Amino acid sequence: MPKDKLDLLPGSLDLLVLQTLATMGPMHGYGIARRIEEVGDDALILNQGTIYAALVRLQQSKWIEAEWGVSDKNRKAKFYQLTDQGLRRLISETEHWQRVSNVVERILRANDATA
Amino acid sequence: MRSLIDRWFARLRAVFNKQALDADFADELAHHLESLTERNIELGMSPSEARRQAQISIGGSEQLHELHRETRGLAWLEESMQDFHYAVRMFRRERGFTIIALLILAVGISLNTTVFSLVSTVLLRPLPFADSDRLVWITNAGPIQALSAITSQIDTWEGLQATNHTLEQIEAYDPFSVRQTYRLTSGGGEPETIVSVDVSPGLFGLLGMKPALGRLFLPEDAVKDAPARTIISNELWRRRFGADSHIIGRSVQINGDPIEVVGVLPPEDAFASVLFPAVRIDVYSPLQNDQNRSSGDVVFLIARMKPQVALATVAADLKLAIAKLKLQYPGRPDSTRYEANVTTLHEWVAGSLRRPLLFLWIAAGLVLAIVAFNLGGLLLARGSSRRRELALRCALGASRWRIVRQLLMECLALVGSGSLLGGLLAWGFIRFLSIHSSADIPLLQSLRLDGASLVFTMLLCAVTSVLCGAAPAWKLTQGMDLQNSLNEAGRSSAGGRQRSLTRNTLVVLEVALACVLAISAGLMVRSLFNLLKTDLGFQPRKLIAVRIDPLIQGSQASYLEKVLDVVRAIPGVEYAGMTDCLPIERDRSWGIETINADKPKEQRGDGAYVRVISPGFFAAMGTTLFIGRDFTQMDGPDKPQVLIINRTLAKSLWPSGESPIGRQVQLSFHDKLFTVIGVVGDIRHSGPEFPSGGEIYLSMRQELSFSWDLMVRTRLPVATLTADLRNALHNVDAALPLTKVRPMQTLVDRTLSSRRLLASLIGGFSALAISLAALGLYGVISYMVSQQTKEIGIRLALGSSVAKVQWRIVQQTMKLAFGGLILGVGSSIAASRLLRSLLFGVSADDGIAYAVALGVVLACAVVAGFIPARRASRIDPIVALRVE
Repeated sequence: MPKDKLDLLPGSLDLLVLQTLATMGPMHGYGIARRIEEVGDDALILNQGTIYAALVRLQQSKWIEAEWGVSDKNRKAKFYQLTDQGLRRLISETEHWQRVSNVVERILRANDATA
Repeated sequence: MRSLIDRWFARLRAVFNKQALDADFADELAHHLESLTERNIELGMSPSEARRQAQISIGGSEQLHELHRETRGLAWLEESMQDFHYAVRMFRRERGFTIIALLILAVGISLNTTVFSLVSTVLLRPLPFADSDRLVWITNAGPIQALSAITSQIDTWEGLQATNHTLEQIEAYDPFSVRQTYRLTSGGGEPETIVSVDVSPGLFGLLGMKPALGRLFLPEDAVKDAPARTIISNELWRRRFGADSHIIGRSVQINGDPIEVVGVLPPEDAFASVLFPAVRIDVYSPLQNDQNRSSGDVVFLIARMKPQVALATVAADLKLAIAKLKLQYPGRPDSTRYEANVTTLHEWVAGSLRRPLLFLWIAAGLVLAIVAFNLGGLLLARGSSRRRELALRCALGASRWRIVRQLLMECLALVGSGSLLGGLLAWGFIRFLSIHSSADIPLLQSLRLDGASLVFTMLLCAVTSVLCGAAPAWKLTQGMDLQNSLNEAGRSSAGGRQRSLTRNTLVVLEVALACVLAISAGLMVRSLFNLLKTDLGFQPRKLIAVRIDPLIQGSQASYLEKVLDVVRAIPGVEYAGMTDCLPIERDRSWGIETINADKPKEQRGDGAYVRVISPGFFAAMGTTLFIGRDFTQMDGPDKPQVLIINRTLAKSLWPSGESPIGRQVQLSFHDKLFTVIGVVGDIRHSGPEFPSGGEIYLSMRQELSFSWDLMVRTRLPVATLTADLRNALHNVDAALPLTKVRPMQTLVDRTLSSRRLLASLIGGFSALAISLAALGLYGVISYMVSQQTKEIGIRLALGSSVAKVQWRIVQQTMKLAFGGLILGVGSSIAASRLLRSLLFGVSADDGIAYAVALGVVLACAVVAGFIPARRASRIDPIVALRVE
């Protein structure tokens, strides 16, 4: 594994999954994992198995729902889909994420200036 | 927030759906793996390399499954469930231990649940009335504790109503009216004797009672010359009128008069169940103030305080009101002594039961403590034999906390099932108590296993589990060291000694508690025996009371004499007499004063119970006539007024000892003077527990009364006598209901019913406690003998006699037992103050009760020690030495 890959911040995986489902529509676990890797330009360290812990968490909170179906490769696969509650959650979480990262960035900049 | 709750529910569900969810996830992973492998092949890898790389980037299947389970489920719950299953498997294997433990637990828990239900029904729960915390009871204060002395006059009631500032409403009922019975001839079945109570029109409304049918009384029902109206009980309505919904507005025949039914009460008559627990009240009549105004003290008063008013304020307010009344009506004959004392209604109803019930509650708690100690001892003993297993688990990586948790879970499983069993048992006890007990305890009919009792049981269950599970678990895992435990051949190792110290302490405590219970049971039983031995002043055995309600007003005496003549002729009847005031059941007292024209200052007065009787009453009762004569037929209405008094009254009116015969006295409500013609022995009027007061007897030919009891002294059983009476009296009064024919002994027993209940409960508790303590002792001594097998074998081999070996073991038992006895006697003496008020004719440090109780405990201890001792004496030295 290359050394310059980035670790995910705790809790951010859930947000990434929600965002992926929001933009791509219903997807199976493998698809979601691939998509996150692709969009992240393979720069993220993603243990693909851990995506399922995130999926079960989101599903139990009723932000996504799951259904068995058939994939485009004609395989039996479990498809996940965003619920209305999930969409609302995504919006509020995204906003929260941006606010936090803005603040963090501002503080880092300010410290830069004094240095 | 919503999503958080959703999540937790989902996690909880996941615990119980493990297999399906695992399979589902396995399928999902398989799809992921296949897709990834396919992509790797597309990227140019060989199929086997593609699969290997795919597996690497997903991660290990087992770990993924574990992560998935942790995320979706509740790990601690799953572990607890595992422990639980494990415990159940263990208990299935050790059937003997489990059955004994469950039985002990079930009995202990059920006793406590039952007693708690009693306490909660009578003491803790509010009375079954609307806003019952604002209801108060107002009593008069008289010189003697008789109904007449604590009831109030109608004028007092009306006066208080007008002048008080702290009460919303004052209502009344006439407790004397319950003593009078009537003939009911309407409805299905033979004519029957019914009980009626006079209540003020607003009383049921004040108590928040609502009619099941029709209406409650209205003020116009109680005015003078109002048409006769009645409200009937639900039970009577069903029994005699087939639950006919058209009964409202119809008339029923009571004592030959048509009376209109205006309402039917609901099945639960809250008023009767609280204020007349042992009486079945059939109908209610409106209390007519004008009719009762001149009858003296006749009503009990129940009132509702205004909101936010304290009891003390009401008391002060009523004191003022009474003072004002006395100024306003200085002419009232009782103006020097009437009062209005106020207590809460709950205190009036249940106050006297607080001590006995608390005592019972404590006793039940002690039994539970013994149960918990016993179970703790059992678990500890069982644990000792499991040390190797536990040590092994420890060695395999289980933490101490994990093992303690498992032992606790085992205990919880045991206590949980025991509590379940105990709950069922308690349900049975409670049903039995509420249905079969004739006890004179208010609210007992409403006794049931309710939510509060169940919560209490669950709490008990938890506390017991922790009590008897935690200590052993902690002790067992103490110094848990694999090497040490697996090699623990030397049985006198430090851990072992400490464990037996714990067990010994538990047993000593058990014996001590059993002692306390046995001593209090001894005292209670002695009190009961004292009461049963008490001379009532009449002979209740072979005495039967038959309620007679003559329909003919006016010439009652000749009707009653005709009845008496017929009854005396029945073969098997020894004596017969009439009274209008049956001891124990009825209660009425009047004032009496001596006349001394020369020295008015020496005139003496007193209150006394009044009984109107026929000639021959004393002979029938078995009451001694000391001086003078009985009434005769000659003491008629046109002859001089005569009366008979008892010895107590004679002493109080003529304290210097001169003979009362021929003296003249003045009675309340009578203008003419009476002459004393005889003095008889005292009758314990209210039952064996209460001393007698003064008593006055009047001749039924000279004094009018209602509702008579025919007292028959006979060897005939009740059923035979009833049949004979029906035949014999057919010509005198064909419609005479013979539905209240009761052996006097039954009535006497009823006054002792709550005491009998208390004595038998506490007796049962202590029997249980002693057996448990003996079982505990037996367990400890048996264990000790089995630990010392080798030593005993050596002693025997070296020539020690069997008797000596046995004596050593019994001695060790006695050491423990005496420890317990001393502790028990000490605590009993310390606690005797609590008991004192519950005893009768026996002091709280009664030597006999102590000696008997200690003797029984000691005897049981000896037996418990002797069984293992005998076993020890049969040890074969050769076998014993080979044991290890």
